[in-house]
Amino acid sequence: MSTPDVSCVITAGAGGEAALRESVESVLDQSLRAVEALVVLPADGDAALRAAAGALAGRSGGRVRVLTAEAPAGAVAVLRNTGLDAAAGTYVLVLDDGELLRRHACRNLWEAGTRTGADLVAGRWSRLTGDGAKEQEPHWQHALFARSRAVERFTQAPGLAVHDALVTGFCLRREALEQHGLRYDEDLTHSGILFGALAAAVVGRIALVRRRIVTRRALPDGGRDLAGLVEAHRRVGHVLVAQGPDGLCEERDRAFLRDHLVPLVRSFVLRPAAERDRITATAARVLPGCVTEDALLTLPPVERVGVRLLERGDPDGVLTAAYAMRRRGTVAAPLTLGGDGRVYWGSGDDPVLDVTALGHQHRTFGELRLMNRVTRYEADGGRVLLAGRLVLPGHTGPEPDAPLTAHLEFRVRDGSRAFRFPVDELRRDTTGVAWRTRVHLTRGLRPFGVRDTVWDARMVLEDGRTRSVTDLFAAHDLVGPADRSPALPRLGRTAGDIWQPYVTLKDHLALRLDARGRPARTARRLVHYATHFRPARRVRLLLRALRTRRDRLHARGFKARVYDSWLLRLPVRKGAVVFESHMGRCYGDSPRAVYEEVRRRGLPLRCVWSYESSPAGFPPGARLVRRWSWRYLWALARAEFWVDNQGFPQQLRKPSGTTYLQTWHGSAYKRMGFDETRVRMQNAPQRERLQRAVHRFDHFLVRSEHDVRTLARAYRLPEEALLRTGYPRNDALVAARARDEAEGRFPRPSLAAELGLPDHREVVLYAPTFRAGGGRRRRRPLLLDAARFAERFGDRYTLLVRAHYLEAASLPVCPPGTVVDVSGHHDVSELLALADILVTDYSSIMFDYALLDRPVVLFAPDLDAYAAERGSYFDLREKAPGPVVGTEDELFAVLDRPKAADAGFRERRAAFAEEFGGYDRGDAARAVVDTVFARHIVPARRARTGEAGR
Amino acid sequence: MSGSREVRDVFIVSNSTDELGGVTGWTHRTARLLSERGHRVHVVGIHASALKMALPEPLGHPVTALYPAHPPTPWAPEGAWDRLRVAARRREAARVAEKRRAVARLSELFRTARTGGVVIVSQVWAMEWVGEADTSGLRVIGMSHESYDYSRASHRYRWIKDHYANLDRWLVLTEEDADLWAGDGMDNVGFMPNALAALPDVPSPRREKAVASIGRLTDQKGVDMLLDTWALVAPERPDWRLDVYGAGEDEADLRARCTDLGLDGSVRWRGRTDDVPGALAASSVFVQSSRGEGFPLALLEAMASGVPCAAFDCAPGVREIVRDGEDGLLAPAGDIVALADRLLRLTGNPRMRDAMGDRARTAVQRFSEAEIMDRWEDLFAFLER
Repeated sequence: MSTPDVSCVITAGAGGEAALRESVESVLDQSLRAVEALVVLPADGDAALRAAAGALAGRSGGRVRVLTAEAPAGAVAVLRNTGLDAAAGTYVLVLDDGELLRRHACRNLWEAGTRTGADLVAGRWSRLTGDGAKEQEPHWQHALFARSRAVERFTQAPGLAVHDALVTGFCLRREALEQHGLRYDEDLTHSGILFGALAAAVVGRIALVRRRIVTRRALPDGGRDLAGLVEAHRRVGHVLVAQGPDGLCEERDRAFLRDHLVPLVRSFVLRPAAERDRITATAARVLPGCVTEDALLTLPPVERVGVRLLERGDPDGVLTAAYAMRRRGTVAAPLTLGGDGRVYWGSGDDPVLDVTALGHQHRTFGELRLMNRVTRYEADGGRVLLAGRLVLPGHTGPEPDAPLTAHLEFRVRDGSRAFRFPVDELRRDTTGVAWRTRVHLTRGLRPFGVRDTVWDARMVLEDGRTRSVTDLFAAHDLVGPADRSPALPRLGRTAGDIWQPYVTLKDHLALRLDARGRPARTARRLVHYATHFRPARRVRLLLRALRTRRDRLHARGFKARVYDSWLLRLPVRKGAVVFESHMGRCYGDSPRAVYEEVRRRGLPLRCVWSYESSPAGFPPGARLVRRWSWRYLWALARAEFWVDNQGFPQQLRKPSGTTYLQTWHGSAYKRMGFDETRVRMQNAPQRERLQRAVHRFDHFLVRSEHDVRTLARAYRLPEEALLRTGYPRNDALVAARARDEAEGRFPRPSLAAELGLPDHREVVLYAPTFRAGGGRRRRRPLLLDAARFAERFGDRYTLLVRAHYLEAASLPVCPPGTVVDVSGHHDVSELLALADILVTDYSSIMFDYALLDRPVVLFAPDLDAYAAERGSYFDLREKAPGPVVGTEDELFAVLDRPKAADAGFRERRAAFAEEFGGYDRGDAARAVVDTVFARHIVPARRARTGEAGR
Repeated sequence: MSGSREVRDVFIVSNSTDELGGVTGWTHRTARLLSERGHRVHVVGIHASALKMALPEPLGHPVTALYPAHPPTPWAPEGAWDRLRVAARRREAARVAEKRRAVARLSELFRTARTGGVVIVSQVWAMEWVGEADTSGLRVIGMSHESYDYSRASHRYRWIKDHYANLDRWLVLTEEDADLWAGDGMDNVGFMPNALAALPDVPSPRREKAVASIGRLTDQKGVDMLLDTWALVAPERPDWRLDVYGAGEDEADLRARCTDLGLDGSVRWRGRTDDVPGALAASSVFVQSSRGEGFPLALLEAMASGVPCAAFDCAPGVREIVRDGEDGLLAPAGDIVALADRLLRLTGNPRMRDAMGDRARTAVQRFSEAEIMDRWEDLFAFLER
């Protein structure tokens, strides 16, 4: 063979012959044919390995060369260097044993290298996950290889050196290798980490290809050789300091923490005690000084606690932190309150151990999830001795002088039944409660034996007033097969004859009913056969097919077809109205105001409300139908009026005799409808569907000429559909303003008491707009840091957070009464009337709130990006009714002195209210009802109540 | 990679030999170019088409259609009753037999190739036949002439995944599309841009105050958005005209919309043109407002004439051809305000127009026929390594 294009160096290791054979075969199977494999074996190595390598070489027709090197055990670097010395190809690639090259790997690397003239070509690789059954790419790889590209220096793709990206899946031009004298460090166990980073730093052009090159890399075990790993990291740090720009080394420190040390801490739960001790001993020796304090502080609280305890060599502390990582929100260790109001893990006021952000201090005993660890499980026949310890944080606990009682509870997995055992001994001390009990499993725990074979353990602790339920955590080596006890199911011992304790994937203790004796095992096998042999499988498949058929009858497509072809033929029922607000998500907004006006005047209308998932919050007297249910479609098909603020399902045509009142849900700042970029780029059928849906509107409410210019034009609404009445929902705001001016703000509406708002704190309502992207109802962090707000203004303001009706907010834990999530509240107008200051960004709420003439702050960190992406109808900064701030600090400065900040905005606010809400005069509901329901308005003396005539 | 220019047997297999459409044009042009380089090219279409494209006579390469007309689609019985229909079963059996004959014919063609032969499958549907034919000793290269997103939204996505996964190599139009496919698990994907047909001898003088748009008047080309854009531009540039070249099903609607917008004075409907360089010579700016594109030839042609472009950044192919701010201006897809802004910049600044036009004419030559043919030959050699 002439000069090969790529030489692959493969070293044999722990995987043995099978792994070696697979790796070599993956090289020989390459679609690029000019590839050679260099297998390097230790001179004193395994004879079987040598034989396997020889056999591969014999079959390959000269494409596999076998080399040997004098190497001490474990010195992979020596073997690899031998391979590099002997390589003849244009490019050289190094594979660990067991790793596989994808079929087109060499072709992709060689093509990219030749096209770009790069010295180093890197691609993606994946590694085995925990149990070795699946593969996964490291999480940072996606961003690094987002696009194929060539860079002149590694600093243009810093991820290559920051993470251990170049440990496999890359090749080097052999000339560059020789020119820079690149070799693996033979005194280093993790030499691959250093080699890749060093190569990236010294060679010229680097090509990145977005192709997967290597699969089946072994999962790195940070615990096996922590000292070597840390040494390799240290040397890479030296390279980065010498070759890279400022800050790269620090970035690598942070990556090292996240990629190596945090997973190591997490893995403690699964390791036996001896290994935990060994690792922490090594860590205490090599870790101090390895990563900087600053890097450590960038980690989330529990993670940095774990790493700090690892550094200190505290095996039990690390284990505790690992539990806290795997069970978010659990108090795993005692907390101490520092003098400055900060909360620390364990004792001491190391800033790394500061866990104030977890918010445990704001919750009390009974609300907190406490860590309860089983320390002893000793089975003696049917009797089991259990002992453990429950952690109490410093600030709260059971009543000190009340008698403590507790019981263990074993619950079947589906939660339908439980057996209880009293706990004999409870000893309380400053940091927790130690407990010990003896239970008679055989007699006390009596399952049926079928479909209730797994039982989870938990403990309930009571102090007479509060009770705290805790899961029982256990180390994975606490129980084994020897700890079994006899079991006595009600169906007899053939259903199962032993209780086998085990630790679940979520680390808590559970019992499993197992079969050990011959009768039980035979019975199990028979049952298994009966439920799994071919006729049984066929029955199961048939049932599933029937279920699919049944589900199809409930699908929207089918319902829409039935609606279209059958329900629409039904006659319209005079006086029937269907109301819907925000696609059934709430009972509020203008449809509610219209509905209440109808009820108040006692019009003889038959009103039906649609709800999406829960009827909670809808008025008890109203007729309710679930959105998309058959009754909903029936109601829509027969209704004389449709009243809605967003849109009844687009697929549903409006019956010919029906009047559709579209109240709409807000004036527009961002571009809407056919002005929206996304809509414009849709294809013709999609746009026609939208236009057809919009053409159903018979009446469309507008608040000002701004709405006419924007919304009406964007949806191509005819002039005769527009009702210039303002929004019925805003009548309440106009009334509230009149009341403010006449009587003042106090007493507050009754809602204040419901939400527990004290009169001495002002109310700030934060109502950001919907950010597109992601699925519906995604929980996302707020742009405003509610915890910081509470810390700074907790004694002055109460923050009400209202997420958009399409999404839910995710709030941090804050002191009680400082931050209240009102996303679930149905009526925004009530909240607006309550708020003293509104903080929002681009939400249409600002147009409504302006009617109240109260201060508004526009907190819009991403104003320019948002306006550029979504497009806007006007310049917010120019017309804003209040200060527009870009950062949280600016916002806090404004909230600190609200009066001063508001002084300059009174006139602008009035102008804003006039421009965007000129038609809101407080009588919208009446005007709308007069216009739309005109033919049902009866003279006052003959009026009946709305519910009459059912 | 250059240097190994041996003469090869090249088969280009498309859906149809003479169907009206971009890929047919591409097929015959590539066939001509490869023949000119000395390769023995054979164009194979699965079927001959009813709606024919005007092809130059003589073609200079043999053309074979496996079926005289579009072959029937496979029959999938719906429900038990349908299975009993004898006529349908007979038709299906006939279809299968006919397909077997077509595959045999294809195999026979392929067997005439000498070593180093290449099969280029320009459309994925043709793989139904090529995949079953005997291609031993030949290298099969698949192609997809559309962007990843466009394929993703269509049934062709599944076909590509099924048929192209095991090929030696298959090609999309741009590296960005190739990356998207690679991220989707297709490791054997490469990219090959379309070639620019010809470089006009003289660039447009760029003296006429006219903006040109060339393309079919269909929804995909987004001329409705162009009119909205022009409604923003026209008041600022009363002396400029918009020339809309092309014909299509939406013409009447678009003309009506133009009248509604009051643009009749500044928009000229030029109809379909065969003299693209001539049309470009009479304009100074080119505009494209498509909803979706692959590797738009119209942009290439405009740039070759030295006419700077303003376009919606609707596909990787557009970004690949126009380097924003350097040899043309791009606007976020669908953002008519931004596109109007680009047009105002190009129409308002003659110096920028000239600089960009000249740069465009130079830059677009990286897609010249000679360049692209070199890349094809390099690819043939690469697949033999």
